[in-house]
Amino acid sequence: MVPVLIGTTLLIYLAVFALPGDPIRVLGGDKPMSPAVYQALRHHYHLDDPLIVQYGKYLWGLVRGDFGETLNGQPVGDVLTGGWTVTVQLAVTAWVFELVVGIALGVWAGLRKGGVIDTLVLSGTTLVIAIPGFVLAYSAQLLFGLKLGWFPTAGTDDGWPYSYLLPGILLGSLSLAYIARLTRTSLVENGRSDYVRTAVAKGLSRRRVLVRHTLRNSLIPVVTYLGVDLGNLMAGAIIIEGIFNLPGIGQQIWLAIQVKDGPTVVGISTFLVLIYLLANLVVDFLYGVLDPRIRHD
Amino acid sequence: MTEVAEATAQTGAAIEGGAASLWSDAWRDLCRRVTFWVSAVILLFMGVMAAFPSLFTGLGANDGCDVRQAKQRPASWNPFAGGDHPFGTDSHGCDYWAQVVHGTRAPIVVGFLVTAIALTLAIVLGSVSGYYGRLLDAFLSRITDIFFGLPLILGALVILTAFPSHGMMTESLVLGLLWWPTMTRLMRGQVLSVRDADYVQAARMIGASDGRIMLRHILPNAVAPVFVYAMLNVGVVIGYEATLDYLGVGLQYPTVSWGLQLSQAQEIFTDYPYLLIYPAVFLTATVLSFLLLGDAVRDALDPKLR
Amino acid sequence: MKVKGMLVGIVAVAMAASACGGGGGSGNKSKVFTYAITEPEHLIPGNTNDAQGLTVDSALFDTLMTLDPSGKPVMEDAASVDTTDQKVWTIKIKPGLTFHNGEPVTAQSYADAWNATANSANAWGNGYYLGSIEGYADLNPDKGKPKVDKMKGLKVVDPQTLQVTLSQPFSQFPYVLSFIGTAPMPKAAFTDLKAYEQKPIGNGPFMIDGSWEHNKQIKLKKFAGYKGTRPAKSDGVTFKEYAGRDAAYTDLRAGKVDFDNQIPAAKAPEAKRLLGDRLITVPSGTMDFLEFPLYDPAFKNPDLRKAISMAIDRQAIVNAVYNGTFKPMASLLAPIVPGYRANACGEACTYNPQQAKQLFDKAGGYKGTLHLVFSNADATYEQWMTDVANQLKQNLGITDIKFDKVQVSDYLTKLSDHKAAGPYRSNWTMDYPSPEDYLTPRCAKPTRSGYDGAACEALIMKGNAAKTPQEGQQYYQQAEDMVLKDMPITPLWNWQDQLGSSSHVGDIHADPYVYPLVHLDQVTVK
Repeated sequence: MVPVLIGTTLLIYLAVFALPGDPIRVLGGDKPMSPAVYQALRHHYHLDDPLIVQYGKYLWGLVRGDFGETLNGQPVGDVLTGGWTVTVQLAVTAWVFELVVGIALGVWAGLRKGGVIDTLVLSGTTLVIAIPGFVLAYSAQLLFGLKLGWFPTAGTDDGWPYSYLLPGILLGSLSLAYIARLTRTSLVENGRSDYVRTAVAKGLSRRRVLVRHTLRNSLIPVVTYLGVDLGNLMAGAIIIEGIFNLPGIGQQIWLAIQVKDGPTVVGISTFLVLIYLLANLVVDFLYGVLDPRIRHD
Repeated sequence: MTEVAEATAQTGAAIEGGAASLWSDAWRDLCRRVTFWVSAVILLFMGVMAAFPSLFTGLGANDGCDVRQAKQRPASWNPFAGGDHPFGTDSHGCDYWAQVVHGTRAPIVVGFLVTAIALTLAIVLGSVSGYYGRLLDAFLSRITDIFFGLPLILGALVILTAFPSHGMMTESLVLGLLWWPTMTRLMRGQVLSVRDADYVQAARMIGASDGRIMLRHILPNAVAPVFVYAMLNVGVVIGYEATLDYLGVGLQYPTVSWGLQLSQAQEIFTDYPYLLIYPAVFLTATVLSFLLLGDAVRDALDPKLR
Repeated sequence: MKVKGMLVGIVAVAMAASACGGGGGSGNKSKVFTYAITEPEHLIPGNTNDAQGLTVDSALFDTLMTLDPSGKPVMEDAASVDTTDQKVWTIKIKPGLTFHNGEPVTAQSYADAWNATANSANAWGNGYYLGSIEGYADLNPDKGKPKVDKMKGLKVVDPQTLQVTLSQPFSQFPYVLSFIGTAPMPKAAFTDLKAYEQKPIGNGPFMIDGSWEHNKQIKLKKFAGYKGTRPAKSDGVTFKEYAGRDAAYTDLRAGKVDFDNQIPAAKAPEAKRLLGDRLITVPSGTMDFLEFPLYDPAFKNPDLRKAISMAIDRQAIVNAVYNGTFKPMASLLAPIVPGYRANACGEACTYNPQQAKQLFDKAGGYKGTLHLVFSNADATYEQWMTDVANQLKQNLGITDIKFDKVQVSDYLTKLSDHKAAGPYRSNWTMDYPSPEDYLTPRCAKPTRSGYDGAACEALIMKGNAAKTPQEGQQYYQQAEDMVLKDMPITPLWNWQDQLGSSSHVGDIHADPYVYPLVHLDQVTVK
């Protein structure tokens, strides 16, 4: 986990700082900046050091819990603490939505394979995957937010969950489609397996077979996906937070990329990677809970 | 549930199916699927449009634009009803039908290029890593993990923002270089699963070289699922490219693409919905066709589901 | 853990989540209004040069002078500003004025703030505004740290009198005194500037309530001890921070924010429909130009530059991209600048495709790829550049046109290093409504376009030393004519801001010369 974290941050660091662009000039805007001011700013952000020294200084700060300073002079740590609650609330809303509705749809479709519901779920989810997320988001904002007035259109004034419902549903809809399909496929496959047939032959009730045997095993790939997906949701927040004006870290990083505010980009990315790796740890643990074979190893 | 019937069907499939006739079986199966035909026809249509736009419109890309004629709504929702501009005009006063036709090529080319780059990397890295195992595998897997941990959209944004005047090729290269980890993992898993098969052992015993074993024995048996994934992937890349266009870091003039059209429509689509709807329909139809085609091929190749 | 249990848990969470919707809402009776901004870069006046920060600072701070509705400098904190030679200025400060913490506003408060602003060791953005003051150069050496920390041109005569000596006569100095970046700072600020920026103490009609809540809001309340010229009529103003203009506008439409001065031009017709009288178009000092790289031999010929200028249909582009809200321009000055002449440029800025083509052919045409250069800061740049490209293709027959979209962080460096590959977007935001502010960057060495502006610079100098505004204006206009004739740059259009307000606020006095476009102190809450 640690090598992956270091490798990924180095990758982002190089991408941000080795590529062209002079963030100091952005600070000056359209107005002239005296050479003395320019030099003072470059020195302040360590931009006059060689790249590897810059990275070293950054890592050393990171170890001490210092994420660096944004180009506006605000600690990146503050930016993170200000934004992460919003993004986490958004991601959790999306996550719960895709988990509950996705699994429910998948089970419903899987139990009636080839039926009307199954076809509807399959074609509906494929359509959701095929429509670009931002088109879906804009249309939903216009329809449910402005025209029908069911949901707030922007901002977090109404608090959780109301402000986060529509953006959360939209953020989760893509993954929901994958989860529904994954649940369905693995349910259908497991439904034909020997142990399920044995259970049915033993005369267990359909309900018990479904819950104790089929579903439990079918959920293993779904859990893997849900773990990986938490990282995806954080990244997908870049687009959704922009459209719905949620002041989370997705929005911060998008603004920071535009003005080449390196410390912010690297700081937030590191945080995202950390979340992603932690989610994977949790998945590994859940594996054991769901799959007795792994537990007994 | 008709478990008995399904069970027989499965055994039947197991008896007649063999590795050698996998592809021909799959083809026969495909021919019976409606989704396969529908998506194939749509993709063929889009392909022709991308290759020969002049068959569909007399205007070149960005041709005959008059900004004084900007944002003229189509005369009727039926594009075949006639009139100068069946799809209306865009915000630069260009004929929207012509622009949508010319917008086909870029996304499809990017979709295939990115997939091809990623697929090549995946096949090479995945086979090497799966076949040789040990240290090399550990090293490559670690690199894959590192790239996997980097959210794709983040990487693409950072790199593409640094080179704002990039073209189609640069964009494809950047995306391709970020896209390979999933496919590589898939490829490695496939190679691992056939590496110790009897026929590979046999080939090794009669003294075949590593290269020969990989090319003649392992690859043909390992590559099918990766190919199917790649096909599904083309559609995903196309949707992705549109998102990058929307964020303003994708393609640009004089290239014409659906994503760019959507990006320009987003500000004014409440007043001019057709500017959003036309490219969205074309884009969605294309992505959908790739997904359905991929689905159909996967189902056909998987005897368990047959 | 059992699967059933897990599912039950999830359902319970989902139900709990859906049960507690709604909430929030208002209910508070205090007369506070909200104003949409994006996250400011800074709040210390000397370091604040972005429109967002200046908007907030204009509520927090008063300056020595301010601009009246016709754009003329008038007294604010100053009782009088006198000079005889445009070089030595004597400023008397009104007695009895205090900062929000009770500290009196004195000549020293101004001197301290200005010395800190000009000091390159602080690296504050507004230093160059004070460049006309004697001793500025000592604080901005070409190499290394400055050896002094005070400008010798600043003299505190007594607590109410400040004497400023400039290095050269500069008749436009009162405009500098009316810029928010020259606001005073209290002693308390200098003990910890970082903390001060989070909780600025100003001398304006509003004071900070709490501290700067980054990316969320900045709450200000009425300053009870205010003795200045513009007391607040409301109980406070909250600046709500948005990620972008679209999001802010969406909230204005939903009635969730009271003011939004950055309604995207593309939304103007819809806003007019929805808001009616509550949408006000306020003229702006911001200008867009197309500037030519004169250092590139291909653009040496003035006829080619004129041909390009005449092939651009400014009105049509403004209609299509900015919904007709921006104004096509034939002058280097914005209309709100005293001394503006509507048709200073004449036929060289008038759309005339036939004559443009003739001039183009006479100049020998253009060979190779024509690059159009702009930054990725705003999506509309690409939109209007596309129209310019289409028109050059259509009217002049240049078929090979490519875009060179440059990252915003690289753009200005590229221009000042003379690396632009072709005509580029140039933009000027007004510091103060004087022709001098618009013309100096066009002529003063080194110019971005590579234009030799020595003659024009001499005229500007004469204007700066003029005894009366009328005399100064003559010289400035001669300078403008000279630049337009040589055409290193051609005006495109003047921005117009769309100010929308909610139905909860009244007494909206729009004014292009104040940063938020409306006098915040006069706003009342219904």
